[in-house]
Amino acid sequence: MPEITLDGLVKAYGGTRAADGLSLTVRNGEYLCILGPTGSGKTTCLRMICGLAVPDEGKVLFDGRDVTREPVSRRKAAMLSQVYSLFPSKTVYENVMFSPQTQEWPEDDAKQIVKSMIKMVHMEGKAHSYPRELSGGQQQRTALARALASDSDVLLLDEPLRALDARLRLELRKELRSMVKEMGLTSIHVTHDQDEALEMADRIAVIRKGRIVQVGTPMDVFKNPLTPFVANFVGRSNIFVGKMGRSFESHSEVMISSKECQFTVRARRTDIQEGSDVVVAVKIGSTKLEKVQPDAVEEKEGYVSGRVERVLYEGATITVEIETPAGLVSAKLPNRKFEDHVADDVVSIWWLPEAASVFRVPPEGLEDELRLD
Amino acid sequence: MSLLKKINDLSDSGRSRRAWFGLVCMVFLVLIIIPSIFVVFKMFSDWSSVNDVIADGAMMDTIKGALANSFSIAFIVTIVDILVGIPMAWMLVRKQFRGKRYLDTLMDMPLAFPTAVLGISVVMFWGAPEGIDIPGLGLNISPYLMLVLLHFIFTYPYMVRSLSAILEQIEPNYETAAMTLSASRFTAVRTITLPLFRAGLVTGFILCFARSLSETGGTYIALKMMGVQSSFFTGPTFINDAKSLFGADAAMGPMILISVLMILLALALLIVARFMMVRLKIPVSRVWPQIGRKLSRGTVPKVKDVLSIAFLVLIVLIPSFYIFAFLTQPMADVDYGALLHSIGVSFLVAGAAVVFDIVFGIPMALYIARNRRTFLGKVLDEAVNVPLIIPTTALGFSLALFWGMFYGGGSAAVFTAMVILGHISFTYPLVVRNIIGAVEEVDASYEEVAMTLGAKPFQAFSKVLVPIIKSSIIAGAILSFTRSLGETGATTSISGSVKTVPVYIMDLVNRNSYAEAAMCSIILIVICFVLIFAVRMMMNRGERSA
Repeated sequence: MPEITLDGLVKAYGGTRAADGLSLTVRNGEYLCILGPTGSGKTTCLRMICGLAVPDEGKVLFDGRDVTREPVSRRKAAMLSQVYSLFPSKTVYENVMFSPQTQEWPEDDAKQIVKSMIKMVHMEGKAHSYPRELSGGQQQRTALARALASDSDVLLLDEPLRALDARLRLELRKELRSMVKEMGLTSIHVTHDQDEALEMADRIAVIRKGRIVQVGTPMDVFKNPLTPFVANFVGRSNIFVGKMGRSFESHSEVMISSKECQFTVRARRTDIQEGSDVVVAVKIGSTKLEKVQPDAVEEKEGYVSGRVERVLYEGATITVEIETPAGLVSAKLPNRKFEDHVADDVVSIWWLPEAASVFRVPPEGLEDELRLD
Repeated sequence: MSLLKKINDLSDSGRSRRAWFGLVCMVFLVLIIIPSIFVVFKMFSDWSSVNDVIADGAMMDTIKGALANSFSIAFIVTIVDILVGIPMAWMLVRKQFRGKRYLDTLMDMPLAFPTAVLGISVVMFWGAPEGIDIPGLGLNISPYLMLVLLHFIFTYPYMVRSLSAILEQIEPNYETAAMTLSASRFTAVRTITLPLFRAGLVTGFILCFARSLSETGGTYIALKMMGVQSSFFTGPTFINDAKSLFGADAAMGPMILISVLMILLALALLIVARFMMVRLKIPVSRVWPQIGRKLSRGTVPKVKDVLSIAFLVLIVLIPSFYIFAFLTQPMADVDYGALLHSIGVSFLVAGAAVVFDIVFGIPMALYIARNRRTFLGKVLDEAVNVPLIIPTTALGFSLALFWGMFYGGGSAAVFTAMVILGHISFTYPLVVRNIIGAVEEVDASYEEVAMTLGAKPFQAFSKVLVPIIKSSIIAGAILSFTRSLGETGATTSISGSVKTVPVYIMDLVNRNSYAEAAMCSIILIVICFVLIFAVRMMMNRGERSA
């Protein structure tokens, strides 16, 4: 199975650049998720890998071999599209048989492979049904069998779970990944759903405006975001703007100032110079609350306090939204805390210094950096 | 290496795909577009003969009269078609009732009738022509009105079909939503659905107008049967008859002039219609809830439905089928040899044209459908309509002038080939338009996925796309075939010696052999129906086994 290298890909459609210096290496046999918001160039990236789009600049390499201009049919990179595109005039069996037949494999081999693939995706009972007679999940599995039966080395999954019901989508994550891993293919899965990427990927590549912003394991991308965008897109974050304060061995301090007040928060250690303009991002799940008694006289423990706007019950978790001098802050807590917070309570907000990442203020401004399009 | 494998391998290279598409564009330009409008260039190189005509006051009056007749008839017919077509399309798409399927089939029948046959049938029904023993209504109506009645028949199905095609795409949800917001049905339709309808209206308008403007055979026969063929002209009948009226040389100037005028006016109309499609605003800002409510309930909707069915039956169906009244008469003597020969010629011409249309039309349709946004895509999309709107008689005349430059004398085979080229010109857009519509409905991802699974581009096309759009290809082919079979004007203006069935029937009418002409027509209609029926059967069976 090949290692795929994308080297400085540029692709423009009219005025918009769907790829703008996109570079990425996908390791042999790896399950990589490309995660990005709608319109970030995810699908264009896939289309350039399989050859349906030719980049204006840059190269696509399979194991070091330049395949940028090679026709689609010879790349052995099978696409699993988000609408499955099962051929409507063919049965499940004929759909899976499509690739062996067009490539003129010996008939016995072809039959055996097709049968084993259909069996692997548990579609034996429906082998002679037409696509319109299948449920969404069955169509998805058939499309997977068809792609796997093509003897491809690379599997490209374009939002493969998007068209399914929410519940089924969750169930199929594990199943899809394990079937693909079993075949040992180099797989690239495009999605805008961060939970899906976190759960399924060996590594995640976060894409934005036609560029890869960060590549890493799910945990790495979640815990150590490289930019405020990644911090906010992969798991929501509370974002504060401030000035860098002193740095210590275990943590650093950032001064946050707003019209009404000024306060200091703690964040993880950084090399950023004291006095620089910085952004602090804390995952809402790592944001902690302490209820302040109305008649309390002693000094508050947290960094800043605010008034609870509302409490949202989400099942396993609750989200508390707090109005503070530095804007709206959210905190995600386990649902057993639901009783503890009601609107108009005053709470004090804090977090562990390791949970807060510090970034320089991005050159285009923070608002532009955090936009999801 | 088999041919198919060779094509498959070739299709993998971008260069050979571009070369093939280049060829398709060349063929379109050189065989279809340039010959169709060549007469316009001819006019400037041969200005003196045209100049003579302009100086000739009487001739100019005749030409102006012919043009006025053609365009005003086309206009009246199209407007009435719209008015009666909307309720009919509505019924066919939105309502469920018993016998709807039969109504649907009946609607298409006049399309399978060669217009020459319709000409005989209509005059027999409304008028009392000399030399025919079968009693008609015997109304003494003017040639102008007779032509209007005739032209309804072959334009009406086009209008209803284009309107219902669009209506099918408009979800009834909008109307339902409007009605839950307390609009009456009439108001909902007028303010919500009708504005969405624009595209269908304009397409229907262009198709009907062009069809009426083009029609030669039926019109000429109707005029002949009323005995006014040398005093009352439309544009096409003028071109058709000019040579025999004024002699070959003297006819050249007037024929060029009237052809050019018809082509330019028709193209101008196409452009105006396109413009209208973007700009036309149906007034919706005011509503009259009282009137709307009254019009939506009680007898008004029922009267509307009854009237539209009455129009179909009385104006379209009965006059079309009236020719079958000849079956009550003693069998006329038919020269079967000549008839079979003309049927052979017709099938050869129509068959060759359809095969050509499919081979060169599908790639064109694919390109246009998949590249709507690009400049070339837009240009080709418009250019394909050009032969559709040009009156076929003018088109045939133009084409004959163009190829006449290369083959001065010409043998029978050359003339047949030229007639085939002429028929290709006006049937090509029908096939292309049909397939564009079908391909646009098919998500491009089918072919793309097939290619990522290792299929070569031609395999992705032939094994994935073709099975999906098969029925549209066949529908386009049937439409082209019947259109070619029924065409008179283009054939006669290219060569008088190629006797297709409609030309043969026209000859019989010219010799006053009405009974024989009618019998030949009936035989032709039966053959057409059997053919269409057979193709439909084959398609159905194909679908069931697939």
